[in-house]
Amino acid sequence: MGRIVGIDLGTTNSLVAYTDPQTGQPKCIPGPYGDTLCPSVVSLDLDGSIIVGEPARRRLLTQPERTIYSVKRLMGRGPADIQTELRLFPFRIDPSSKNVIRVKLGDKIFTPPEISAFILRELKNWAEAHFGETVDRAVITVPAYFNDAQRQATKDAGKIAGLEILRLVNEPTAAALAYGLHEKPAAAGGRVAVYDLGGGTFDISVLKLISTSDGDIYQVLSTNGDTHLGGDDIDNLLQAFVHEQILQNDLLDFSPHGELAQELRKALIEVKHQLSETETATLRFSLPNDRVFTREFTRGELEALIRPVVDRTIGPVKQALVDAQLKPVDMEEVVLVGGTTRTPLIRRTVQEFFDRKPHTELNPDEVVALGAAVQANILDQGVKNMLLLDVTPLSLGIETYGGAVAKIIPRNSTIPASAQELYTTGVDNQTGIDIHVLQGERELAKDCRSLARFALRVPPAPAGMPRIEVKFLIDANGILQVGAKDLRTGEQHSIEVQPSYGINDSEIERMLEESIEYAEQDFAERQAIEARTESEAILTATAKALANSQIAGLSAEEHAKIDASVAALKESVAGGDYKLIRKRIDDLNHATEHLAELLMNSAVSTALEGRKLAEV
Amino acid sequence: MVGSRTRQPLFLCLLVILKDQFMSAAPISANAKETPDYFAIFGLPRKLWIEMNTLEQKFLQMSWKLHPDNFVNASEQERELSLKRSSELNDAYRTLRDPVARVEYLLAIEGERKEGEKKQQAPPELLEEVFELNESLDELREAKSSGEDLAEIKARLESAENNFQKKLGEVDAELQAAAREWDAALNGDAATQKKIMARLNELLNRRSYIRNLVASVGKELSEV
Repeated sequence: MGRIVGIDLGTTNSLVAYTDPQTGQPKCIPGPYGDTLCPSVVSLDLDGSIIVGEPARRRLLTQPERTIYSVKRLMGRGPADIQTELRLFPFRIDPSSKNVIRVKLGDKIFTPPEISAFILRELKNWAEAHFGETVDRAVITVPAYFNDAQRQATKDAGKIAGLEILRLVNEPTAAALAYGLHEKPAAAGGRVAVYDLGGGTFDISVLKLISTSDGDIYQVLSTNGDTHLGGDDIDNLLQAFVHEQILQNDLLDFSPHGELAQELRKALIEVKHQLSETETATLRFSLPNDRVFTREFTRGELEALIRPVVDRTIGPVKQALVDAQLKPVDMEEVVLVGGTTRTPLIRRTVQEFFDRKPHTELNPDEVVALGAAVQANILDQGVKNMLLLDVTPLSLGIETYGGAVAKIIPRNSTIPASAQELYTTGVDNQTGIDIHVLQGERELAKDCRSLARFALRVPPAPAGMPRIEVKFLIDANGILQVGAKDLRTGEQHSIEVQPSYGINDSEIERMLEESIEYAEQDFAERQAIEARTESEAILTATAKALANSQIAGLSAEEHAKIDASVAALKESVAGGDYKLIRKRIDDLNHATEHLAELLMNSAVSTALEGRKLAEV
Repeated sequence: MVGSRTRQPLFLCLLVILKDQFMSAAPISANAKETPDYFAIFGLPRKLWIEMNTLEQKFLQMSWKLHPDNFVNASEQERELSLKRSSELNDAYRTLRDPVARVEYLLAIEGERKEGEKKQQAPPELLEEVFELNESLDELREAKSSGEDLAEIKARLESAENNFQKKLGEVDAELQAAAREWDAALNGDAATQKKIMARLNELLNRRSYIRNLVASVGKELSEV
């Protein structure tokens, strides 16, 4: 099995980290330039090859029309959602965009998950070069306030990059994990607020840290945020301000998205960073008409300019506290995450709000990736002294009569979470029931985010006779799954759900094929390796299960069937035909159904008796 | 691909999760129960008084066992089961730790929750006050559109809001009393139990009516 990594797929920069098996500490992996930050910039070269990271960032100046940054802002969104974005960012949207946005790099067209996949693949390469081994699995972080479509798009990006995504972890939660290792929670039951302002997104999470005899639990109590608020917005304000000044001095008017604008933006970001360190900084910007625009900025001036952005974070912070039924003073620790929190104004604002000096010990750019590596290690090694209980950031609802929304899973519910709804028909022989699933807090469907629409198929019957139970389940990644059951027949229905803002199956298939061009490994070879890896996992799990003393309920017949399936799978692995290995894995999975049930029951009853893990 | 729940090879893993991963071709054996009883999940009797600390401890202990994080490298069956059981555990905890949701749930599983056609009707003892409140709300809307002075109407509405807030507190106290009766009658005769449940049901409906009222007044006032 290949190595597992944690990835922070950021708006401005992305990072990859792993847990050092020797020290147990997470570490970020540097790229070829020695830097752990990989700028989230992708450029299409003239020869058709893809350039990612620092070299791509330099191309923002020379080839802006073939280069894209901040693509995270487009993930899981439709063309109608991004009109504000388009005024401020040089995204070149292809007119063929329907539910999914398509952007142009040169003359080629890509979806946001494909572009994110290029970044993920680059980080995968960094890690593989570092380990000298393949990397095939990852934990990826997402803003806590990402909705279902944005999460699904991130997962799709992982698939396209050839990574198995074991878990999407919320960024502030990942940061809390990294800090937890660094510094043990002061007291059991300690409340922690994580304020995470990155390049494009803002999250606030309130956690409770609980020490139990089994280990430490990180329980998220509430989360809130804004998926379109970050350092980018500060840069936009600065850029607009200076552009206006250049214009007023009648020096030059230039296109807000051209080469010059990119150069100005870059220079202003440097001024912004400088002002976090010193009280004044000077912008010297060469204009093509041989003039130089020079201006000194003071920190106070910058702060006055960006205060509206900082103030926009306070509403979500207050709401998260209300939802957790806590007050600012109840927080025992406050943690700052994200490069934008280096800004002194933000540090002061947060400190004043909570009346507590926030933690800034860990590098705010790296802390999320480090946390992702911690979670990756937990999942990979089955490290059982730490457990993360996260929540869904937005309420899940279904549209009812008159365009209203019935909330079925409230926001801040611990995930996985589910809800059942019973449906029937209104007229005789009705064969379908339309269901519209939404996410958001507003009362009307039109004000919430549409996740999916689907039709339940119903066998013809008199009105009111059918009884279809639909189960909505939000998994541990915060992604929705839907299942239906006919209560009269007990039959499970399959539901064709077309996500409102997602890529469909056949498109992902095509993207996968295309992405192979960029992959080094041969498809069939990869398949065989993966099938073998998976069979190893299931064989180990089965052997472990059979050795458990709690399986007395398993009949001799069932036992024999499992043994036979195990033998058949081992034989197929030796043969190397991946299709056959797949089939045998399925057979073994079916044979172990009852076994899995027995083990789960025994685990639960021991938990109820309050016994410790070690005694099981 | 429909109806299949086999794990696909990574590069063929083309299922958008929404599609059908939750569906199972074969029903999970020995687990055909329609809806799990949230009280039973925690090994609790159907009593309305729950010691919150114990509930939390049990929730955390069971989370250690059931959370999907423990089953990443396990078989398909175990992963499905973990997802199902841990979501039920979280649903149960969310419901039982909220005193009102707990009563609603108890009535639902006992088959006694009846929101009924009276949902929109004011409880008789509140009729007069609700009538006055609605008049004030109408006046406020009129005054708003004609630009009249709102102070007097606003004060009246605020006092009505406080009044209904107080009533909400009273209903909650009555609910608690009825809940204690239910616990005392847990092993009693069916007729007594039915009577208590009818009372609980009525209190829930009244509570929800008053709560909606308070919310709508609050909304009108916030828009002034």
